[in-house]
Amino acid sequence: MVCQFCKKREATIHFTNVIGNRIEKIHICTSCADEKGFDYLKKSNFEKGDLLAGLMNLAFQAGSPEAASRRCGGCGRTYADFKKTGKLGCSQCYEVFREELEQILTSVHGDTCHKGKVPGRQGSRIDLMKKIHDLQKELRTMIELEQYERAAEIRDEITCLKNTGGGGAGKEPPCPSGKEGSAELGGQA
Amino acid sequence: MTDFGKLIDKPAGWLCEPGEESEMVLSSRVRLARNLNGRPFTHIAPPDILEEISGSVAAALAAGDIMKEALMIEMEKITGAERMLLAERRLISNELVGNFKSRNLAVRPDEKLSVMVNEEDHLRLQSIESGLAMSSAFKAARELDDDLDKRLDFAFSDRLGYLTACTTNVGTGLRVSAMVHLPGLVHNNDIRQVIDGLRHVRLTVRGSYGEGSEVTGNFFQISNSITLGVSEEDTVANMESHVRKVLEFEKKARESLLREARTLLEDKIWRSYGILKSARLVSSKEAMSLISATRLGAGLGIITDVKIPVLNEILIMIQPMHLQRLYDREMSPEERDTVRADYIRSRIEIN
Ligand SMILES: [Zn+2]
Ligand SMILES: [Zn+2]
Repeated sequence: MVCQFCKKREATIHFTNVIGNRIEKIHICTSCADEKGFDYLKKSNFEKGDLLAGLMNLAFQAGSPEAASRRCGGCGRTYADFKKTGKLGCSQCYEVFREELEQILTSVHGDTCHKGKVPGRQGSRIDLMKKIHDLQKELRTMIELEQYERAAEIRDEITCLKNTGGGGAGKEPPCPSGKEGSAELGGQA
Repeated sequence: MTDFGKLIDKPAGWLCEPGEESEMVLSSRVRLARNLNGRPFTHIAPPDILEEISGSVAAALAAGDIMKEALMIEMEKITGAERMLLAERRLISNELVGNFKSRNLAVRPDEKLSVMVNEEDHLRLQSIESGLAMSSAFKAARELDDDLDKRLDFAFSDRLGYLTACTTNVGTGLRVSAMVHLPGLVHNNDIRQVIDGLRHVRLTVRGSYGEGSEVTGNFFQISNSITLGVSEEDTVANMESHVRKVLEFEKKARESLLREARTLLEDKIWRSYGILKSARLVSSKEAMSLISATRLGAGLGIITDVKIPVLNEILIMIQPMHLQRLYDREMSPEERDTVRADYIRSRIEIN
């Protein structure tokens, strides 16, 4: 069998690698293994699957460019790329593939809303309250315009922001404008 | 001696400290995953970006006080064997052994606090403590994170929290884990039920120090799997309360063993200790099970002339790369079995 990396030499190292629920076979020659810094593979019985995780990504990138339509503007990767490797390309991917990821996040974490630390530079309490206030204004506008889908997204975002009040669980920043907006936002834990 | 030698040729600082519940808990670990905003994640980042990231992180670490004594180890400047040594020491992941271009490790001399750069995420902050000490391990990681946060712009979304290459870490990016020794529960066959119970509350349990998923020496690693929708404080508190519950079960299992089969138990412990002290050839697997029984004996006060921290140290030192480093040559597995036995005997004697 020919090495799948140089496609010239005989592959002498063979591995099976499991990524998510896919099983991949790797066939690599010793000089490619050397080149990629896997020289010790020949000497030891180190956990080969883990070592080759990086190599696997190379293999995936070399594969056929999937016809999956949307590409992330930040890194150029598609949702198909994510499904193959289990890894996103950049932070923008989380927005671009928001809908697709929703389901995965729910099944992995049982939640889609951050409740922990907020980094200092973007998360001061005042910024947060201002942001919630702005979103609440936008929410009312969207409801007036009957843009219910967008309104629901904004509502979720507000719920999330209220939960991130900065470290401690369950501490909600007070509603910046007192009474408005809070009634229709209730519910979600 | 090189910086690398200074680090690796002495036992890890945390190992020597007696921790809380140390007869059942080897170590507590905390990891925080962070990425730099506006940069592709490591696995697809081109070489110049990886270089830039490692430069920014190094500068941020150097600018703060917390890591000012840390050693900076560039993975591409050390050999494959040395990288494997760091992996055996649990300072780097196996991933970094193979992918070492622009990958770095910053580690404090006591090894309690370290940062892997350009692993799956741009930064992996790691904090480790001896025994059951998840909240103090978390505190140390949080302090470093707070400090780095002043100098680095981390990828973060209001909705999803810290953004990571894998969806399994998004949110807090926090993984809390404890390495526990549960010979009592393995012996009375309750371990299966305990593991199922932990999985039911969405904690992950792995056999450790073994090859693959095979459990050797009755050592298990328990960790949280949920990072989104739970605060860091709750994650730590939740882990701690579940681990404490497991320890209670283990304590009861040990007590009932002592009550119902004392002679049998003592016999097994003393025989194991006897072999450990006198064997001339010992495989990694056999060593693990002998150490496990001896460790149980030390925990129960049956064996008093070897202390648990020494046994913990032996667990680290008898791994292949550590033995090769200690004896300064490459060895076949058979040779390693010989020097492993030598090392164990000498370490127990000088103790
Ligand atoms: Zn090849
Ligand atoms: Zn992207």
